[in-house]
Amino acid sequence: MAEKKENNDISNLSFEQAIKKLTDIVSKIEDGQISLEQSLTQYEQGMELIKHCRGILQKAEKKIEEISKEKEK
Amino acid sequence: MKDSLFDEPKEPNPPPVPKGRGKQAIIYTVSQITSLIKVSLEETLPGQVTITGQISGFKRHSSGHCYFDLKDKNAIIPCVMWGSDFAKLKFKPENGLAILAKGHIDVYAPAGKYQFYAESLTPAGMGTLQLAFEQMRSRLEAEGLFNEEHKKPLPQYPFRIGILTSKSGAALHDIVDSIRNRWPVAKLLFYDVPVQGEGAAEKIATAIKDVNKRNTSLKLDVIIVGRGGGSMEDLWAFNEEAVARAIFNSKIPVISAVGHEVDFTIADFVADARASTPTKAGMIAVPDIKEVLQQIDSANNRIKANAESAIKLSAQRLKTILAAAVFRNPLVIIQNRGQILDEFENNLAESAKSFVLNIRKLLQIYFEKILKIEPHRLMADKKIPLNNLQNRLSQKTSGLLASVKLQIETQAGKLSACNLKSVLNRGYSITKNAITGQIVKSVAEININDIIITELKDENLVESKVVKK
Repeated sequence: MAEKKENNDISNLSFEQAIKKLTDIVSKIEDGQISLEQSLTQYEQGMELIKHCRGILQKAEKKIEEISKEKEK
Repeated sequence: MKDSLFDEPKEPNPPPVPKGRGKQAIIYTVSQITSLIKVSLEETLPGQVTITGQISGFKRHSSGHCYFDLKDKNAIIPCVMWGSDFAKLKFKPENGLAILAKGHIDVYAPAGKYQFYAESLTPAGMGTLQLAFEQMRSRLEAEGLFNEEHKKPLPQYPFRIGILTSKSGAALHDIVDSIRNRWPVAKLLFYDVPVQGEGAAEKIATAIKDVNKRNTSLKLDVIIVGRGGGSMEDLWAFNEEAVARAIFNSKIPVISAVGHEVDFTIADFVADARASTPTKAGMIAVPDIKEVLQQIDSANNRIKANAESAIKLSAQRLKTILAAAVFRNPLVIIQNRGQILDEFENNLAESAKSFVLNIRKLLQIYFEKILKIEPHRLMADKKIPLNNLQNRLSQKTSGLLASVKLQIETQAGKLSACNLKSVLNRGYSITKNAITGQIVKSVAEININDIIITELKDENLVESKVVKK
């Protein structure tokens, strides 16, 4: 898996998907007996996901958009 | 006048109340004027009155007695309700609630105020509306509109939230604030709808249908429909069938946030989730961003910790391996083996030597032992008896042989004699030469004038002379 492709995949994930993947990674590394190589791969992926999630949560929406139906009535 | 615990102790023998005629200045004491007021009220008002108003400032004392105000737009009256009466209530009185109160008015002299002593309370507007509510509720419940299986799960992390309420109501701010405090990431999309009055229900229903229709572009994750507290009439739009059906049919999950904690409307039953007040909508609709960030931090720490310990572990293993003698001094293995071999060799040589030595010793011992035995003499000793035995054996053997021979010959003789006898019995005879004793078999063997003996059966012998042949 090329690193670039992985990054794109992660940035396309919804918050919910990203958090789920993150939870899975934590389970995987804490449950199983994984190799050093896998530990490091999961670390890389995990960090990407964390960056992505934190980024999403940093945006605070200040405005309220009005969506009331304008036409008719 | 009902006896109360707060009966004011009357002054013993108060001075007579002067009655004023005309504009003479009469000076009353506070107690006197208060008395007048009290009497005045007693005479004017009926013993029991029913008041309708809104509750405010409701407090329940530790004694069990309740103190509140009943108010309307222009006036306010302080109220007292004894614990015993309060206990009989079937509903919970709350601030803002419109009620009907039955009781009496009296003056509370120590505080210089008049009070309403409430004996019973009923929620205002009950009756027709309550009946209508119960009927609607039963009907829709029977249809299954309230069933759990129809309730959609709320999105765990909503990023686009629709709010359907009145622009002029307090609920909008309550909902917005409660969401912004908890989950400021969500984009809020506001849809203005009337929340009470004529036609409100239809407009709310239309709004819900509308956002559903437009959701491909609106992309709402969840919608909140609500309003602030009020009387049953105020909240009535949320009990209407149109709203209930619109909520039921909504593909977007709906949270209802109507009135106070005690207010339950049909909308609350049909919705996918209920917030007991608009302020609580935030708690229901969105997660706490602090918790989520903590969750992410925790994941971060755990992943890092795991990677670190994996690296540490591997490094440790490598270190241990490198520390092994093998790597420090690779020749050690060979040297060790060499030493073992040498030792084996030594041991082997030693073993072999001592083995041979032992064998030799043994041999020597045996040799000496054997010498002591002097086998040649033993042999000689044995030879003599052996020779004797040998002689005796050959003697006996030849003796035996001779006797056996004799027996055989005897038997042979007997046998031939027998044979001979039978032949003779048949008339044959045996001719023997009288001198030689030889049997004559042919004429050639005998000459004229020889003497022959003829043996006939039973051993009869005849001697004859050969005259002619």
